Amino acid sequence: MAVNESDRSFDHPLYETLERFPGLDLATTAVDKVLTWGANNSQWIFPMATSCCGIEFMAAAASLVDLDRMGSITRGSPRQSDLMVVAGTITVKMAPRVKRLWDQMPEPKWCIAMGSCAISGDFYRDIYSVIPGIDVAIPVDVYIPGCPPNPEQLMAGMLRLQEKVNLKRAGLWSPPETRPETGKTIEPAIKRLLQAGRDERITAAQLDQAMSLMLPAVDLPPRPEPEPEPTAEADAGTTEAPAAPATPDGGHHE
Amino acid sequence: MSESENNTRELAFRRLLRAQFGVEGEPEAPLPDDGPLVAREHHKALAKALQAAGWRLYVTCAATHFPAVPGKKPTDATTPECFEVATVLRSVGPGTHVARWRVKLAADETIDSLVRVFVGADWQEREQFDLVGVIFAGHPDLRRLMMPEDWVGHPLRRDYAIDTPHAPWR
Repeated sequence: MAVNESDRSFDHPLYETLERFPGLDLATTAVDKVLTWGANNSQWIFPMATSCCGIEFMAAAASLVDLDRMGSITRGSPRQSDLMVVAGTITVKMAPRVKRLWDQMPEPKWCIAMGSCAISGDFYRDIYSVIPGIDVAIPVDVYIPGCPPNPEQLMAGMLRLQEKVNLKRAGLWSPPETRPETGKTIEPAIKRLLQAGRDERITAAQLDQAMSLMLPAVDLPPRPEPEPEPTAEADAGTTEAPAAPATPDGGHHE
Repeated sequence: MSESENNTRELAFRRLLRAQFGVEGEPEAPLPDDGPLVAREHHKALAKALQAAGWRLYVTCAATHFPAVPGKKPTDATTPECFEVATVLRSVGPGTHVARWRVKLAADETIDSLVRVFVGADWQEREQFDLVGVIFAGHPDLRRLMMPEDWVGHPLRRDYAIDTPHAPWR
């Protein structure tokens, strides 16, 4: 039975009563520590392994890097799990299913986005059928970058999740997780169309290829006409002539 | 041994196409590399004839979309939009032989479904309907297979934008 407790106050009068008994607050603190220890060392995993990161997840669950050391065993049902590991590309068709399974997990629940596809969609990001990261559907607690991350990285992510659980259960602030930034972009080996330094033979070959695929003809912008060489009269006569070299690249910048 | 068997099958396939299904050429002349072009009306009859002659394994079908192409000069006529459906069958046993043919469709034409001939054609044709948008007439259950049920459009058409949004997921 679902109970909506959103408008209720949690300052129960029982707490005021409990605080008057000497030593009882100490006992609740100790119980809370035991509960935190238990929660940290029994993170049962619901593996949402949709692609190759799932293989690395299996390696992490196997005997070399043993997830069972920290009490993490995989369950086939979301109702018995505390932690969802999203390991793989999530497609538009899969996303509602993932959300539904996440909603079936009991609180408190945690989510790890494992691998660059689950974090941001990676190189499938712009494709019509892939969602750009699982955090558009469900909240993520720990991001583990890598393509795929190796089992040791998954283990490091689990340890980081333990720290976070400690902080949350103690009521302390923990920094919000953000998608990891690599800080570097990979330049394409072949220069793109209309980019400086591009070989014109490549352009011609690609246009030929496009035509042979029966694609519509490409309308390239007209080639700018070369500026006439400044004569001695123009230099002497007009005042705007010195302003021309100020925009050496033809005034494309606005 | 298996090579001669294969050759016999290939010759039988060529003779069948030339005798009954209107493919031009000498009865045993080689077929074009990209497969013979068969008329739309003959598609199902050809599959039935091949099944009776021993090609009992339905391998795959693949549909391709060709958008309308304007002529190179302004005076040239525009090539209209069309589809091509290629079908692949195999014979079973030693010296297995691959039989394949193409069917060309205009934009508003449908093609006969092969589900009543080969049960394995069911999901293959559903996939091609889903991704390319070819209508297989007589298919008992022509629903989307790969894309979500509420998807609009057919993403493997050549004029489909690759970054089409789909709320609320992307």
